[in-house]
Amino acid sequence: MSTLIIKNLYAEVDGKEILKGVDLEISGGQTHAIMGPNGTGKSTLASVIMGHPRYTVTKGTITLDGEDVLEMEVDERARAGLFLGMQHPAEVPGVTNSDFIKTAMNSRLEEGKSVNLFKFIRQLDKAVEDLRMNDDLPHRYLNEGFSGGEKKRNEVLQMKMLSPKIAILDEIDSGLDIDALKVVGENVTNMKSEDLGLLLITHYQRLLDYISADKVHVMMKGRIVKSGGMEIIKRIDSEGYDWIKQEVGIDDVRVIEEEEEARVMLGQCATREALDL
Amino acid sequence: MKDYVEKPLADTSVPEPIVKLISKDLTNYLVIKDGHIVASDLSASFDAIFVGTYGDALPDKLNVFFDSEFVNEHPDHDEAYHYNLDHVNSGLLIHVPRNVAIAERLHVFYLQSEHELVQNVRIVLEPGSEFKYFEYFYNETAADINIVSNSVVRENAKLSYTGISAFNKDARVDVRRNSFVFRYGRSEYDLAEVNDGNIVAKTNIFLQEKYAAGTSKTVAISSEQQEVSFRQMIEHNAPETEGYIENYGVSNHASHLYFEGVGKINKNMKRSVARQSNRGIVLGKDARLDANPLLLIDEYDVEAGHGAAIGKIDEEQLYYLMSRGLSLRAAERLIISGFLSPVMSMLSTDTLRDDFMHKVEAKTS
Repeated sequence: MSTLIIKNLYAEVDGKEILKGVDLEISGGQTHAIMGPNGTGKSTLASVIMGHPRYTVTKGTITLDGEDVLEMEVDERARAGLFLGMQHPAEVPGVTNSDFIKTAMNSRLEEGKSVNLFKFIRQLDKAVEDLRMNDDLPHRYLNEGFSGGEKKRNEVLQMKMLSPKIAILDEIDSGLDIDALKVVGENVTNMKSEDLGLLLITHYQRLLDYISADKVHVMMKGRIVKSGGMEIIKRIDSEGYDWIKQEVGIDDVRVIEEEEEARVMLGQCATREALDL
Repeated sequence: MKDYVEKPLADTSVPEPIVKLISKDLTNYLVIKDGHIVASDLSASFDAIFVGTYGDALPDKLNVFFDSEFVNEHPDHDEAYHYNLDHVNSGLLIHVPRNVAIAERLHVFYLQSEHELVQNVRIVLEPGSEFKYFEYFYNETAADINIVSNSVVRENAKLSYTGISAFNKDARVDVRRNSFVFRYGRSEYDLAEVNDGNIVAKTNIFLQEKYAAGTSKTVAISSEQQEVSFRQMIEHNAPETEGYIENYGVSNHASHLYFEGVGKINKNMKRSVARQSNRGIVLGKDARLDANPLLLIDEYDVEAGHGAAIGKIDEEQLYYLMSRGLSLRAAERLIISGFLSPVMSMLSTDTLRDDFMHKVEAKTS
C-alpha cells in the first residue's frame, strides 16, 4: 500500500501563481474526488503531481511513500507508481498503441529484460475487450484520429496495463457518452484494490455515480476549501457551488483567467500574423 | 551509353556488415560489388523476368533498355548524368515482361569497394506487370559515386521502389532516380537517406500519359557537419495524372538538411493533382532544416497543394510518453521512429528494420 502526501503546495505557470497551498493525502485502497468549477486549479494540481514541464513548484512538498516526488523526472515518477490519465492526451503519429504500451511496461523492468510477448498480447486483448474498444486499437497510432471518448478509454486502458500505485484521472468523464462512461466506470471500479489509490478530478458529479469516492474535496482559488464525504456531492448536485462560496467567503473562484486567443481575420496569412510581419 | 567497361575485381567476398543484413528470412537478393554479382539467391518466380548485369545482357536484351527516348536524352539530364552514361562500370538491368506480376521483392545490395563507382540501373516494366524492388547502397573506401537509376513503367504496370543509402562519410555521392510512367501506371518510391556521405540526391517522376500516378516519399537524417540536399520532382506531362511528394527529415548537431519538392504541371494537363507535404524535426542546437516546396503550374484546372511543418520534438508528446515511464531517450526514440515510419514500414525484414533504426539512433543521439 502506497501513500501520496501533498503538503502546502504552491505552483505557478508563466509567473502566475495557480496553486495556493494544497494539502492532500491519498493511500492505497482509497478513492478521492476533487470537484470544483472551471479554472480553480484542479487540472494544474494533476499536472504538477506528474511533473509537467510548464509548471514550477514554488513551495511545499509531494512525497510518495516518503520519497520526494518533486526531485524526480516525469518518467521516474511514473516508474515510482504514479499515473495520470490526461484530459488532453497527445497524439503521436507513427507509434502504435501496442508498441507504446509495451515500451512503457518494459521501462519498468530491469535493463535488458522485456515483457513476455504472448502474455502481453493476451493482457492487452483482454483490456481492449473489457473497455469495449475496437480490436484494431493496438495497431492504431497512439491517439491519432481518436475521438474524445476513444482517447479517454485509451487512458484507462494504459492504466489497466501499467497497474500504478496512485492513479489520477483528470476529467476522464469529459467527452464520454453515457454508455462509455458506464464502461469506464465499471473498469475503474474493478481495478480498485488495497494497492491502488485513486484521485478523480471532475466537475460533474455524474462520474461519481459510477465510481464511488470515499472522500470528496472541493477546490477553489487554487486550494482545497472543503473536504467531506459523498454528502457534499449530493448538495452540489442540487444547489451548485454557491453555498460553499458563501461558507468560505469567496466571490470569484477562479485562479486561471481564460486565455484571450489572438484572432486572425479570414484572408490573412496566419503565419505572417503570428510572426508579426 | 558509349561503352561499358567492367573493371576486374580482386576480392569477391561480401563484407561483414552486408552479410549481417542477409538474414535467413531475407529472400531474393543479389549482392553486386563494383559491378560484379558476388552473391545471389533468387526464387523460381524470378525466372519469368530478366535480371542481369550489363555483361549478361549484351547484346540481345540491350535494345529493350537502350531504345528508350527518355533515359538517354532528356531535358533534365545534366553533366553528372552524362558522365554516368560515358563511364558506367556497374549496374543492373531488370526487364519484367507483359502481364508478369512478381509478388516477392527483389533486394539488391550495391557495394563500392575498389574504385570509383559509376552505376546505372534500368528497370523496364512492360504493360500490366508488377514489380517490387529494394536497393541498399554501401561503400567501403573513399570514393566518388555516381548513381543513375531509370525505370520505365508502361501501361497499367506497377512499380514499388524502396531504398536505403548507407554511405560512410568518405563518400561523395550523386544519385539520380528517374521514373517514366505511362497510362494507368503507378510508380512508388520510398527512400531512406540515413547516411554520413556528402550526398545530393534527386528523384524525378515523369507522368507521361493520362491517369499515370507517382508517389515519392523520402526520409532523411543529417548529423554532425553534414550538408545534404534532396530534391523530388514530379512532372505532369499528361492530363489527369496524380503526383504525391512526402518528405520527412531530421537534422541533428550542426548539420544542414535541404528538401526541395517540385510539383510541375505543364500547360493543358488538366485535372491533374499535385500534392506535397514536408515534415521536419530539428534536433541539434545549430542544425538547420529547409523545406522548399515548389508548385510550378501552367494550367488552371488542377488540384495542387503543399504543407510544411518543421520544429523541435513536440514537448507535449515527450511529456505524455515520459508520464508512462519512458526515459527521455526512449521517448525521443519512439517519436522519431514513428515520424520515420512511412518508409520504415516498407522494409522487408526485422534485420533491415533494425539496421535502419540503428542508423537512425546513431545519427540522432
